Amino acid sequence: MSHSICDTILKTNKHNNFPINDHMDLLIEILQRLDGRSLSTAACVCKKWWSIVKNDSLWEHLCFRQLSMPPSVGIRSVVMALGGYRRLYLVCVRPVVSRLKRRRRVSYGESSEVEMWLSLFSVECYERLLGGGGGGGGVVAGESTAKSLRFLCEGVNV
Amino acid sequence: MKREYPNQNHPLFNTSSSASPSSSVNLRPDLPGKSKMFDEFNEQDAGVDELLAVLGYKVKSSDMIDVAHKIEHLEGVIGNDDDLSQIVSDSVHYNPSDLSSWLESMITEINPIVQQPVVDTSFVNDLQAIPGNAIYPPTTTATKKQKTSVSGSVSSSSNNQNSIVIVDSQENGIRLVHTLMACAEAVQNNDLKLAETLVKQAGILAVSQAGAMRKVAAYFAEALARRIYRLNPKPEQNSPALQNLLESHFYETCPYLKFAHFTANQAILEAFAGKNKVHVIDFSMKQGMQWPALMQALALRSGGPPTFRLTGIGPRTFDHETDHLQEVGWKLAQVADTIHVKFEYRGFVAESLSDLEPSMLDLREDEVVAVNSVFELHQLLARSGCIEKVLSTVKEMKPEIFTVVEQEANHNGSVFLDRFTESLHYYSTLFDSLESSGSGGGAGHGGGVVVEGGGGIAPASDQDKVMSEVYLGKQICNVVACEGLDRVERHQTLTQWKNLFDSAGFESVHLGSNAYKQASMLLALFAGGDGYRVEEHEGCLMLGWHSRPLIATSAWKLR
Repeated sequence: MSHSICDTILKTNKHNNFPINDHMDLLIEILQRLDGRSLSTAACVCKKWWSIVKNDSLWEHLCFRQLSMPPSVGIRSVVMALGGYRRLYLVCVRPVVSRLKRRRRVSYGESSEVEMWLSLFSVECYERLLGGGGGGGGVVAGESTAKSLRFLCEGVNV
Repeated sequence: MKREYPNQNHPLFNTSSSASPSSSVNLRPDLPGKSKMFDEFNEQDAGVDELLAVLGYKVKSSDMIDVAHKIEHLEGVIGNDDDLSQIVSDSVHYNPSDLSSWLESMITEINPIVQQPVVDTSFVNDLQAIPGNAIYPPTTTATKKQKTSVSGSVSSSSNNQNSIVIVDSQENGIRLVHTLMACAEAVQNNDLKLAETLVKQAGILAVSQAGAMRKVAAYFAEALARRIYRLNPKPEQNSPALQNLLESHFYETCPYLKFAHFTANQAILEAFAGKNKVHVIDFSMKQGMQWPALMQALALRSGGPPTFRLTGIGPRTFDHETDHLQEVGWKLAQVADTIHVKFEYRGFVAESLSDLEPSMLDLREDEVVAVNSVFELHQLLARSGCIEKVLSTVKEMKPEIFTVVEQEANHNGSVFLDRFTESLHYYSTLFDSLESSGSGGGAGHGGGVVVEGGGGIAPASDQDKVMSEVYLGKQICNVVACEGLDRVERHQTLTQWKNLFDSAGFESVHLGSNAYKQASMLLALFAGGDGYRVEEHEGCLMLGWHSRPLIATSAWKLR
């Protein structure tokens, strides 16, 4: 799928005299405005796009984009150590934000929310370590959500 | 004297053969000495049928024929109703009291598949000592059954081949509670014959209930039966591997443990502000789930992380594998390593916390100590002098903060009936909350259910919920069926703990607003979120379901 679409895009771009793949900074600007789902879809377009989306900084931007204040220093190294921003977003940030929005609760304060993401993320990372039986690379491996965060998952309507 | 169900003995019924296609009960037609019992039956009756009277129905024996006919007729009507027969034949039965032993065998087989055997509910057999066996088949379609309300019917069988007419009515629920209480009272008065009869009635009534009430009633009835027949399980027989498995499912399914960990961590974090060397002594090490979050918070605090030392105390594990406490320490060390927190760990095996001496712990001069205990202290109340010894040991450790999380209930009264009543209310509330949070996404929010990406994994399944229920069921069994040193689930209220700590020389440290915020946010994330309540009470935080507080976190320091 990806090759033909990529070719089409490139062809169209050539036709319009604006191949997007030649302007990485512009591409990144656009990708920065996407939501999580679209970003994941974008990763499927072609290898180049995939390598950009794979980069954690896009996801970092996504996580903190709604907040008014920039995250404190040091958060990045901790998050990278625990599994990266993409995982943080998928496993903690998106479910937490959507649940809290749905509850329409009074805001708990941005720093509290960030603390909550990180607490849940650290538990999740630890559980993966426990569950993986200490297999190498336990911190980054696997796509399955650790059990402790299952309560954040929505039910599947079969 | 064994009393069979009155309808069955009546000669009129043996001829009837309105067989419904979906019979899930087979009454043995070959009971010996039937005619003799029939005579007995007639003789003993002085107008009102005894068995039904216990249930609360006053039916004259002379009217029994009539009643039986009506039930048969009802049976026929319901049998023709396709929906209902479908429901009855589709229900899968499993046996709550057998789950414990099933789980034990599951651990050794390392086979995670849940088997749900269909149990033949022939409850004629009066020789069944524990009514839990085969009498209450909780069905997965219980909620559907609630809709079929046929008022005033007796939930009994009228014929050899008919299925149970299960009816859910409010009155049966109230009667069930009364029966359980009456049974407890009989046990307290040592009237074991009456208790025996009542516990069986409770078993039958429990079948007519649905959801949380059925399960709670089943566990309590089983515990009562164990008490009556003196089949008390010894707490040492609980294999730690099974306990860990059950507890980890409990951790996932509902917020109680997470609440405990997050609030205690917040208090510890605040106590450690500005300190460079910190030492946490954890009385409730288990799987160490509390500590990654604290380490992460320490890593991110302004000024950088301190040197973090953790001493974990736990019971001996009987595995053939390596030392469980050490394993947990290794994993925590890995996490600490990745987030660049200097970490030191020591695991201590102690069968009872009172065995602990401060000299064992290598307390260092320049370190700030925090002591943490989650659901551990109440066990010490079983032996006199134990809790005082542990509290004085804690004092010798000179902790900056001592965080305690305990169940908020008085299950340690000296009068059995009071304990029973209290625990019935407590665990009913707890099971209620499980019902809603178990379906992780079902009850909590209105509107459609959305499939989320990022794993798209099923929420806390029924299996998780069942494990959590077994976990709680063991506690129920201990509170009701055990005595003396075996009874370790001696919960006390926060007020009682406060008095204890006050007299031991501790004073309360108020948990700040941060802890409250974290707790509220956590609860908002759980599916049953609206039912959970955080309350602040004199500086301590309590998590409850609707208006009933269930667990309490408090923090203490030396006066």
